[in-house]
Amino acid sequence: MMISDIESDLKSKFPDSLLNVVSEDRRISLLVKKEELHQILSQLKDIGFNHFSDVTAVDYIADKEFELIYHLWSHREKIRAIVKVRIPREAPTVKSVFDLWTGAQIHEREDHELFGINFEGNPNLSPLFLEDWEEIPPFRKDFDTRKYVKEKYYSGEEGYPVAKG
Amino acid sequence: MKKLTPKVIKSKNEARAWSVWVINYFTACGFMELLPWVGSGYDMERFGILAVPTPRHADVFIIAGYVTRKAAKRIKMIYDQMASPKYVLALGSCPMTGGMYWDSYATIKRVDEIIPVDLWIEGCPPKPENIGHGIVMAANAIKGGLEGH
Amino acid sequence: MDIEEKEIAFLTVPFGPQHPASGHFHALMKVDGETVLELEPHPGYLHRGFEKLMEYRIHPQNCVLADRLDILDPFPCELGYVNAVEKIAGLEVPKRGRYIRIIMTELGRILSHITWIGVLSMVLGFDSANKIAWGDREKIIRLNEMATGGRIYPCYLCVGGARRDISQEFVDETSKALDYLEGQLSFYDYFVFKNETFVMRMEKVGRMTAEEAIDLGATGPNLRACGVDYDVRKDEPYEVYPEVEFNVITREEGDAYARSLCRRGEIAESISIVRQLLNNLPDGAFRIELSPVWAAPEGECYFCLEAARGEKCFHMVSDGSPFPYRVKVRPPSLSHSLVQFPYLVKGNTIADVPAIYWSLDPGPADVDR
Repeated sequence: MMISDIESDLKSKFPDSLLNVVSEDRRISLLVKKEELHQILSQLKDIGFNHFSDVTAVDYIADKEFELIYHLWSHREKIRAIVKVRIPREAPTVKSVFDLWTGAQIHEREDHELFGINFEGNPNLSPLFLEDWEEIPPFRKDFDTRKYVKEKYYSGEEGYPVAKG
Repeated sequence: MKKLTPKVIKSKNEARAWSVWVINYFTACGFMELLPWVGSGYDMERFGILAVPTPRHADVFIIAGYVTRKAAKRIKMIYDQMASPKYVLALGSCPMTGGMYWDSYATIKRVDEIIPVDLWIEGCPPKPENIGHGIVMAANAIKGGLEGH
Repeated sequence: MDIEEKEIAFLTVPFGPQHPASGHFHALMKVDGETVLELEPHPGYLHRGFEKLMEYRIHPQNCVLADRLDILDPFPCELGYVNAVEKIAGLEVPKRGRYIRIIMTELGRILSHITWIGVLSMVLGFDSANKIAWGDREKIIRLNEMATGGRIYPCYLCVGGARRDISQEFVDETSKALDYLEGQLSFYDYFVFKNETFVMRMEKVGRMTAEEAIDLGATGPNLRACGVDYDVRKDEPYEVYPEVEFNVITREEGDAYARSLCRRGEIAESISIVRQLLNNLPDGAFRIELSPVWAAPEGECYFCLEAARGEKCFHMVSDGSPFPYRVKVRPPSLSHSLVQFPYLVKGNTIADVPAIYWSLDPGPADVDR
């Protein structure tokens, strides 16, 4: 199957949701609207994208949005698909893709803990890496890790940090 | 033929120094330079050092590398379970001052905050020769009567 | 006679953070006698928040930090970072620099697999193989030290090439070390891989079919042992891999023994790749000189490579400043130890748990980053 076939197939099934499609040698990149995200990913899985690599989040604090990026790979055709979607920063909620790929559950759990994004339908969103964490999710851009560490562990002054203890 | 005289251990301190048992705890990235000591590269067993699986049998606790907040509670638990006299060695620059991850929100910066430390070995990670020097220094100190806690 | 019905509670056994057979990894097992019913993994004892730390450092500092992403296999981490930055900027690394990078990366793959043989033998109780394997590691670590100055964390690659050139002495020593390792490989075949006890403990244990492996997100030797030939070096070639010849080792059974044989085959292939590269090493420049505060232009890149454990991907977003805006590392071991391990352990005995765990070759530091 050629990349142009995938492109035309998706454009015919989801004419309103595809905002931008970029096709390269063995990669296809889509920017989609949030509403039909799960259907687009389901369609990609049916075409043959059976390997779920990763779901990443980028915090665009100036635009007040998170960008979620799904990376998929097809073992049969050896093509990579990248699906991007923007969600609002104040209410970050998407539908989980755990029902399509079992391996997606752990990546969504990590993004939930580190960014605070809610994935509806994920069976287990309990904390993965951090225990008793009371601040905001640490990978957000408004969490300054140097300021946090200087106040908690060092003496709090500017300049060369001297550890407490 | 030369007459072989057996080595006589004269004091309990000397006995302790030649059979230091280390708890088998693969802490963090500083531990990678302890692998040659466990294996046949530098072989610590010829110094009488064994890695034991349970804290009840161990004399020395080697903290090799950074300590996260989640692991700090468990380290305190293991330290409490060890029988006296016990000694603690801190390896690397991360337990000393925070090291390379000084601005990480998840690591503690001085392992001194949770358990008392007897010997600090610097490096990132320290070379095996450095670690050997440190271990021999600790064994000599134990032989000389260093009080464990 | 009336028999009272009592509630049976199952024992919860921790495969704890302090355990000779786990790295710094914690799992709670619910057992019924000797059979494991369920396993719940609890990672996070090695979490440092790398991706956040990298946003505060310029590119040369990040190359030093990236080493520690996977402490058993540092070269692919550095390679991924610098390649992602170079693709955003459109830099063309000189040919000698590319060759040096892949020579060191393949030596790192051999190092990781030999360390894995040692660790697997240790948890199975096979102390002799453990001591011998960890003694053989020294050969490659000494080569690392000769070329880069650092034994385990080399800090060798930089944006634009490699930091230092390799000398003729390094080329000669590497050839000698590869000859020694090839002899050791036939020794390991007889001592470990065809050892009756090893085969009994690993064969038919922890079996996965190809569909299950793909659904769980397996990559690397774990997937190739089920019959799927996915190797990023062949499917999405990068650096100099189009110019070398090597085979992709696959097997059909999908059990722990098949995974072990895949890794053993990869050691032989890596030795052959390094020999080919050393024979055809070109002359010329090995790096592009850039200032330390050089900034990549605005852009985004997703770069995938094949680490010793599987598919490792770097997603980098740059906003035109010397600091990266977002770096995301997709660790191969996240799926190995948190998804495949609980799935495969169900129904097996407690004695099989370390054999299954280390046959998947997870890196605890890789999971937590």
